[in-house]
Amino acid sequence: MDSVLTITDMHKTYAGGVQAVRGVSFDVNEGESVAIIGSSGSGKSTVLRCINRLIEPTGGEVRLRGDLINTPSADINNVRSRIGMVFQSFELFSHLRVIDNITLGLRHVRKMSKRDAESEALGVLEKVDMLDRKDAFPGNLSGGQKQRVAIARALAMKPEVMLFDEPTSALDPELIGSVLKTIRGLADEGMTMIVVTHEISFARDVADRVIYMDNGIIAESGESSIIDNPKTERLKRFLSSINEED
Amino acid sequence: MIESMNSGNQRSPHLAFIGYFSIALAILLVLSVPANAQEYRSGWDIVDSGTLADLYSVESEGSEVWAFGENGAMISSNDGGLSWEAGESLTSSDLTISDSGYGSFLAASEDGTILIKSGNEIIWSDISLDIGNELVYGACLTGDNAAVIVGGNGSIWTYEMQVWSDRSVSGEDLLDVSFLDSERGIAVGEQGTILFSDDGGSSWDYRDAPTEASSSRIIDIEFFSEIRAYAITDEGEILKSSREINTAVGFLWNMQYFESEGGSANLGVNLTSIEIATTNKFLLSGNDGYLSMSKDGGNIVSRQMIPLGNSTSFNDIAMLDGFNGVAVGSDGSLLLTERSGEDEQVGFEVRDFSEFGNFVDYSKGMLIEGLYATINIVIFGIFLGFFLGISLSMMKTSPTTLKEISQRRSLVVIKSTGVIFTIIGLSLLRYLVPIIQNLGLDGWEYIYAPIGIINPDGITGELQFENFLFLILGVSLFLLGILLISANGEYKKSHYNIRGKEIIWNPWGIRPLNFIATIYTDIFRNTPLIVQFLFIHFGVQIGALIGDPGAEMLEDSSNFILTFLRDDILSNRACVSAIFALGLNSGAYQCETIRGAISAIPSGQMEAGRSIGLNYMQTMRLVIMPQAIRICIPPMGNEMVNLVLNSSLAMVIGYSELTRKAKLINAVTFQVFWSYGMVLISYFIVTWTLALFLRYLENKTRIPGLGISGGS
Repeated sequence: MDSVLTITDMHKTYAGGVQAVRGVSFDVNEGESVAIIGSSGSGKSTVLRCINRLIEPTGGEVRLRGDLINTPSADINNVRSRIGMVFQSFELFSHLRVIDNITLGLRHVRKMSKRDAESEALGVLEKVDMLDRKDAFPGNLSGGQKQRVAIARALAMKPEVMLFDEPTSALDPELIGSVLKTIRGLADEGMTMIVVTHEISFARDVADRVIYMDNGIIAESGESSIIDNPKTERLKRFLSSINEED
Repeated sequence: MIESMNSGNQRSPHLAFIGYFSIALAILLVLSVPANAQEYRSGWDIVDSGTLADLYSVESEGSEVWAFGENGAMISSNDGGLSWEAGESLTSSDLTISDSGYGSFLAASEDGTILIKSGNEIIWSDISLDIGNELVYGACLTGDNAAVIVGGNGSIWTYEMQVWSDRSVSGEDLLDVSFLDSERGIAVGEQGTILFSDDGGSSWDYRDAPTEASSSRIIDIEFFSEIRAYAITDEGEILKSSREINTAVGFLWNMQYFESEGGSANLGVNLTSIEIATTNKFLLSGNDGYLSMSKDGGNIVSRQMIPLGNSTSFNDIAMLDGFNGVAVGSDGSLLLTERSGEDEQVGFEVRDFSEFGNFVDYSKGMLIEGLYATINIVIFGIFLGFFLGISLSMMKTSPTTLKEISQRRSLVVIKSTGVIFTIIGLSLLRYLVPIIQNLGLDGWEYIYAPIGIINPDGITGELQFENFLFLILGVSLFLLGILLISANGEYKKSHYNIRGKEIIWNPWGIRPLNFIATIYTDIFRNTPLIVQFLFIHFGVQIGALIGDPGAEMLEDSSNFILTFLRDDILSNRACVSAIFALGLNSGAYQCETIRGAISAIPSGQMEAGRSIGLNYMQTMRLVIMPQAIRICIPPMGNEMVNLVLNSSLAMVIGYSELTRKAKLINAVTFQVFWSYGMVLISYFIVTWTLALFLRYLENKTRIPGLGISGGS
């Protein structure tokens, strides 16, 4: 199978000396959706940010379709435009209307004309069911709507892989559904994606593969069925603690 | 900010407001220009002479005035020129020559007709003289019944005791003669001829005319007093003779140069006569309606308005005293003045500054000028400051550290760059060492070395900013070079333990752009603005350094913006200096304000921008700055209001802005409370309008969900 993203022995040590990621390796294949689960501080968000180098990894390799991207010679802006990212706190550009949030990258990175960019943007907004709010400012949207716009913003760039960084954890429970539905729809369409999430049920239902991270390393990984049949003690404990919360 | 203006329909009310604002401002300015009812009126009044004959000559004795003209016309007035009556015609010759004195009048024509009216007579007697082929050009009384006449080819005749005697000299035509008393007289003529007699005209000596007038036709001479004589040429030149320490008047003659004509010695008109009122005050007449007066011996000659057309040729003026006078000219023109012909100011009045209305009337024009000057430097200062502020704040927040720059390059490159930097740094410092040594400093005095090396020779020498640049570059490159040489590929912090305290030394964390911007802001924020004004204007002379070449560059431009820049801004050195002082200073403060706003933007915004592939500068420009500027509108308003208020310091460099105008108004009116009070109000109007505008801008650009701003 075609590997879109290859991560080999990734390390990240923060300036203060905290070793957030200590040798993580995995592949993501074409059309595959990978869920990364784990407790807070386990390094899962760091892994995600190291992939598109919002955080510079201190060791290891990241390859996008075989090209090494964590090297100074790589055109990082081009690489980032090929990797869509959705943030926990949405990070919409609050001074721009919904439609302008989406066309910003198209116009200034893809160098599209304003008209082309807008028709493109209307397409992705329809996909996330936000077409009717295209002229609203982000400040006037609910959390779920914001996150769907953020997904549309990433999608508009036609990324080869999407990274979701806890896309639902800043949302009220009743708003989570619409976002998850959107993500599930993308997965069904065959979008390659990595989802860092706390939604265990979502990981089980949508992900082709689940990676459980603990303390900077991959503690267990495999088909989504490992959630129901954890092999390691650590994953078992993690899952049971989550179930207790629920 | 720019992005949101482009998007959607918020645009129109926004522009409309700016439109209304500028219209209101324009109306305010137009209304405030003082209505100009003041004008000038001629100091001469037309008097009916009762004749249409050309009048050639006019004379007065007391209030008795006689004018002579074409075909023997003679008219007289006994009331100082107010009313005239025609005298009985005694000759049909044109009476072109006249004189008065000793209570007597004399009139003569070129053909030798000479009429005299002695002081104790009421009728004219004919004492005509036949001087053969020569024509008579000038005459002068030397007693109540004595005269001297001059004419062609050096003819001179004296008349005494009813007898004419020939005193002719060989030479050019003599055109006029004037006697101070019965003994001393001067005759003038063609080719710069000047003759002097001190025996009542019996014998004559040549005097030298100034070389400039050596070939001129000297047509009129007035031997006015012991200390002054004037003569004129028909080309519009004035010759002046004054008593010098060892020389009586009449010996040395000088050309009069006219300050009012740009230092020229020529008035550019055909003069016909000169009439002296006092030693330094004289009137001139000429063709084409020319009447003029000088009150300072000819330094400034001001042409006078006349109530007649310019086709009138004025031939003579007679002053009855220092102020009343009569001028005569072609077609019986006769003008009378009570004020030496000086233009009368109509609508001007002596102002009483103890009345507030009068005071305001007087000072508002100056205040508007000052306001205009203030607004000029403020607007350019704001632009310069904002530009600097944005640039510096971006430099200050730039994340790139030496470590990041170094990590991208191989160790060999780093180390060899280090060696090169060290060598360049050392050689720059070596170049500077002798200069610094020559300054003759000792001990702590070296803190003043930066000023010394820029201008080692003082006021006589040039400013050498490159030396200062070399100093900074030398030190920085040397230190940077050493650091780069010491690189081991890890670029880590060094931890030192000194007496139990941990010292962290992290040179690799230095951000070069931040470093440069910090030097700038530290310098400008830690020195007083008034000293910056003085240093920039008088020390650096930025007005001359930038304004002069700038004005020269725009010399040929005709575009109205460029001509405004050239004439109103660049040509005014103090203005250029003031703009730079305000802009550079405000830039340092605005930098900190904008930097604060940038740090208030969540870091996730930068991540989000970068994650869709925008580079750092694009993200700053399109994502961070538009939000940061919105956040910092209130503090920026502070900065701009401060800039307006600080602009009053421009008075220390002699820029005539509002505050300086107030001082000038004070100097005239002494109304301290009123003038400074009016300036306060003027400043308040400007800054309050600015503040209102910024408040409006803040509301218009407010984005839902960005920041806690209160209100809706």
